[in-house]
Amino acid sequence: MYFAGVDIGSTMTKVVLIDKADNLLSTVKGPTGPEHRQLANAVMQQALEQAGLQIDDISYIVATGYGRLNVPFADRQITELSCHARGVFSLFPNVRTAIDIGGQDAKCMRIDNGRLTTFVMNDKCAAGTGRFLEVTAAALGIRLEDMGDISSKATKKIQISNLCTIFAQQEVVALLSRGENLENIVAGLHDALASRVAALARRLGIEPDLVLTGGVANNTGMVKAMKESLGCEIFVPEEPLLTGALGAAILAKETYLKAVAEGDALPTKSRRLEKATFFSQEQR
Amino acid sequence: MSWFIGIDIGSAYSKGVIIKDFELVASHIIISGANYRTSAEVIRAELIRQVNLSQDDIANTVATGAGADNVYFASHKASDIVCTARGINNAFPQARTVIDVASQSTRVIRLSGEGKVANFTVSEKCAGGSGRFIEVIANVLRIDLSDFGPLAARSRSPITFSTGCAVFGESEAITRVSEGVSKEDIAAGVNKALASKISSLVKKVKLEEPCAICGGGALNTSLVKTVQDELNAHLLVPPHPQIIAALGAAIIAAAPVT
Repeated sequence: MYFAGVDIGSTMTKVVLIDKADNLLSTVKGPTGPEHRQLANAVMQQALEQAGLQIDDISYIVATGYGRLNVPFADRQITELSCHARGVFSLFPNVRTAIDIGGQDAKCMRIDNGRLTTFVMNDKCAAGTGRFLEVTAAALGIRLEDMGDISSKATKKIQISNLCTIFAQQEVVALLSRGENLENIVAGLHDALASRVAALARRLGIEPDLVLTGGVANNTGMVKAMKESLGCEIFVPEEPLLTGALGAAILAKETYLKAVAEGDALPTKSRRLEKATFFSQEQR
Repeated sequence: MSWFIGIDIGSAYSKGVIIKDFELVASHIIISGANYRTSAEVIRAELIRQVNLSQDDIANTVATGAGADNVYFASHKASDIVCTARGINNAFPQARTVIDVASQSTRVIRLSGEGKVANFTVSEKCAGGSGRFIEVIANVLRIDLSDFGPLAARSRSPITFSTGCAVFGESEAITRVSEGVSKEDIAAGVNKALASKISSLVKKVKLEEPCAICGGGALNTSLVKTVQDELNAHLLVPPHPQIIAALGAAIIAAAPVT
């Protein structure tokens, strides 16, 4: 008995396959983009190959994330908030607060016994999301994945005075041309984003244990800056991008097992890997 | 000596004017570039050349704008709010409200008589509320800023942006382009989004007519029309909307505020 979670984020698409005991059989990550019109198929196919399975072997599939409606073979759609909460709880049973910083939003969730109780999110302003780092890294001519290492060599943090990502982009270039050191600028960028996300999280009230996920959690400089801004210990999963897809897979299993236990018929979608369309007009 | 210079060093453009007897006699606009000091010198030299003067003929110079500190030959610095108010009063003495749509921010100023500032508000430090939003989308559409207004005016069904953020708006515009939405409809959509932010700023200080609009954004005729529709008010547009703050600075140079 196998289950799948598909998480179509604004930046990355993730698939997790698990068995009945929540063992990970395969995980796939790939960039989302308007040109990836068949991405849901492609990543699913890849995940199946890795696990040595066929699509018909999967008992139940849950899709989540911003593109969850574009997964034609998914049996059920569940919001990313619920999936993240479930995924994080499976990895950290003591979690009470989870923060997910993605490429297009930041979400802060309070979790009680694995269930999402309240949340706040920012999807209005790029300055409080991973996009802030993407845009400023590009302006500085560095790779996003190198930002953590670069900031680890900083001797101080340069305060970024502009809140807006667009104006900050100009500011970092000006700082560089004024002779400020790249490491210190990057440390300042981490600090700026961390303090914004921390302010969002404080609206909920922070209870330990706190877990940080999303692509931004791969950046060690951001994890450090978040620790400083929040003043508490932060746990980061080994694969911070995958918690949404993992939660979706676990919720798929739970939905399926509950229906079986109660003898309910559980409708499933056609297991044909059809063409998916992204960013379609119909979606809006 | 009755010649006075006002120089406005903005984040995107630097503007300068010469006035004589409170009448505009020369003006010049350049891209601010990386060296504001040089920009200020270039503007002064060009202004003086236009009216066949020498530096000694200039009685006084006042500087304004984000880079005012770099105008080392100015006797005073004045705030851009005060300068815009004085400048618009010169262009439209009857104006009681002025909207200044600049690259870095949007400002709405309520005026008492004589161009004095009664009240003002400035957009939050967000590109989505300033002319920069238009610059960002013009870049996606690969069109000149000067073509933006006429292009948007041809739109039949402006798109509605789902975001007020210029960064997310840029991605949204790219997506819409790839879906085959026309440039006209996207451009008109940005004007609509910006106009709605401008109109909520105006509501903060309460609109009193007559109302004028200036700054680089006022060159976008379609934006001006969209703001007019939003506010349900006629907007006065000066012939050279970008130089209003520089004009105000020159007026202050001629008759310092006491």
